[in-house]
Amino acid sequence: MTTTKEEFGPSITEEAVSVWNGKLTIRAKIAGAGPPLVYLHPANGLRWDLFLSHLAQSHTVYAIEFPGTSAGDPYAIHLIDSLADMVLAYEEVLRSLGLERPVLVGQSFGGMLAAELASTFPTIASKIVLLSPLGLWREDLPIARWLEAAPEEMATLLFHDPAGAAAQSMLALPEDPDIAAAAIAAQTWATGATAKFCWPIPDRGLRGRIHRVSAPVLVVWGKEDSLVPVGYADEWANEISDAQVAVIDTCGHIAQVEKLDETIEKVDAFLVGNS
Amino acid sequence: MKITLFEQAPYRYLADDFEKKYESCNSTPYSVTTSDGVYSSMRDFMDELMVAARSGYDGLAVTEHAQSSYDMVANPDLVASALAYMTETEALDVAIFPMGRSLGKAREPVRVAEEYASIDVLSGGRLVAGFPIGLHYDASINNGIPPIEIRPRFDENLELILRAWNDPEPFVHNGRFFQYPQVNIWPRPLQPRVPVWITGIGNPRTMQMCLERNFGFNYLSWFGAKLTGKRIFDRFWEIADQVGVPRNPYRLGFTQTIAVAETDEQAEKDYARHLEYAFQKGLGSIPAQKLAMPGGIDIRGVQALVKDPGDFGLYNQMRTATFRDLVDAGVVICGSPATVYEQVREFCSQYGIGTLHAMLGFGSLPRDLAMKNIQLFAQEVAPKLRELWSDTDHANHWWPQRLGGDPTPVTPGVGATEDTPASSTTVKAKVAVK
Repeated sequence: MTTTKEEFGPSITEEAVSVWNGKLTIRAKIAGAGPPLVYLHPANGLRWDLFLSHLAQSHTVYAIEFPGTSAGDPYAIHLIDSLADMVLAYEEVLRSLGLERPVLVGQSFGGMLAAELASTFPTIASKIVLLSPLGLWREDLPIARWLEAAPEEMATLLFHDPAGAAAQSMLALPEDPDIAAAAIAAQTWATGATAKFCWPIPDRGLRGRIHRVSAPVLVVWGKEDSLVPVGYADEWANEISDAQVAVIDTCGHIAQVEKLDETIEKVDAFLVGNS
Repeated sequence: MKITLFEQAPYRYLADDFEKKYESCNSTPYSVTTSDGVYSSMRDFMDELMVAARSGYDGLAVTEHAQSSYDMVANPDLVASALAYMTETEALDVAIFPMGRSLGKAREPVRVAEEYASIDVLSGGRLVAGFPIGLHYDASINNGIPPIEIRPRFDENLELILRAWNDPEPFVHNGRFFQYPQVNIWPRPLQPRVPVWITGIGNPRTMQMCLERNFGFNYLSWFGAKLTGKRIFDRFWEIADQVGVPRNPYRLGFTQTIAVAETDEQAEKDYARHLEYAFQKGLGSIPAQKLAMPGGIDIRGVQALVKDPGDFGLYNQMRTATFRDLVDAGVVICGSPATVYEQVREFCSQYGIGTLHAMLGFGSLPRDLAMKNIQLFAQEVAPKLRELWSDTDHANHWWPQRLGGDPTPVTPGVGATEDTPASSTTVKAKVAVK
């Protein structure tokens, strides 16, 4: 099944991949041309944004939808119960799509998933970009409990400047009340689906496995991240053998939205570099 | 009509400005308490339940809320087991009704089966077994369960508990969430068919499960029965018609906060500020995001609630609700015996309710006023109210046999989780025991 729609420029197609012995369908939004790049979205679901459109200018971007977050298929989340199995299912998706050593880019929860994937399959990715990833835990660096945050509180957890144009463009809801209700329900359910694998503590043993990551890693963090403190950037760099850190000033948890140009600059330099 | 006393064990001495000062009653620092305050809150709560048992109530109902200043009953089975023994020694024929252990929360489901079995034995067969699916803050914050697993865990746990009570042979349980090489609990309930009730706030899936599987359904009307009652109860009976089960009022329970005094004026004078305490510092101080966490409500349910939050009634205003607001919304029924009788009877007869859980102790209500409320209701309101439905042919299949009920078996049907097949999930293999 393939559908096409226009958003922010590139032509986006969708591919449904049957995995887990035919029991589970995982969907990917695909755009661009060039070497493969797999994008793993944050906790509240996939949103095709300008960052992905930019990446699609140099790569074929495969943005994979976490089970349970695809439109019309919410109960897929009940088909897989352990994080280890979810990692295997993602590996099946990449193999089914014929992606050989793609770049892995993951934001927040997607960053945790990317790190889990690369810890389990150390040769799966050529390079890895982690944008404010979840996955590690330090008691003295508390991660905000986003699952029990009020909607108005969420904006300040995600953005350094929630009133800014970039933040507002992401937070804005559709005007039509029916479409808005559906969008709220979809994001809420997606947040619940991903929480199955990162609640109550967003470290499911990654600390013990992460040394297995062998690809070069770029860790990007907003200096004023209120959700996952920037102190974690060095944690990741210390745990991974080939990691570099880029901290972006006056920026919250969603650097790719709040500081798009700076994020693109860091990521592009990493992807074209020889590291 | 069956009438229970329903009580929580709130800490009764919170400061006047509590609800302005603290984010919630689920994260209140324990340093606000004194040991005398905790002791008397808990002691009075137990004494009030025992006074109710001696005053002829049909049942004693308590429920589970951990880490909360509005109800210090972290495990209702501890309270229920004390009541079971006390009432047995005094030969009081009263149902022991924990409403009860949340199965979306429970990480030791076999222990829940054992606790309930023990209560049934201690009480000589007077247990009514309540199972709430699970408040989100309680399951997910207090016990670390991802909200999207609450319903799947409830389904597995309920099936396991029912089998642990009923299967004469030891069995293996190989579930999604729990594995046991042997389940063979001692003791088992005395009752061959323990009445099972599910507590909920109006999710149609939960109602369907109750009606298909022959469970009683308890509706907690904290949100204001005048605002929500018609929606919820009409929905319940419409689903009953779809499922094809009779509109038997005894299968439907209703929890209502009630305050009765000699006159309407006296009732307001006695109870108004304690009722405000109860709701402003209790339910009103549970932020919405702790009651409705992502994944805990089905995606279609969220969509429906965003467009029409009517099932939540007065909840969003409760932190500042005045006595008058609470009365107008039907959150509380307060007045003389005649006023209370008339309103409760009207409501129960209109919506087909055969089991009333009367919440007669609440908030900061001191011991003497709680006792007055409980006894006055027992003497002046309950006897007439109990006559409701007595002129019908309906049998009470959700009440212990020892107390005049006629329990019928649990039947197959859907679980509480959307888009999952009908239970059971338990492996049927038997263990060879040497």
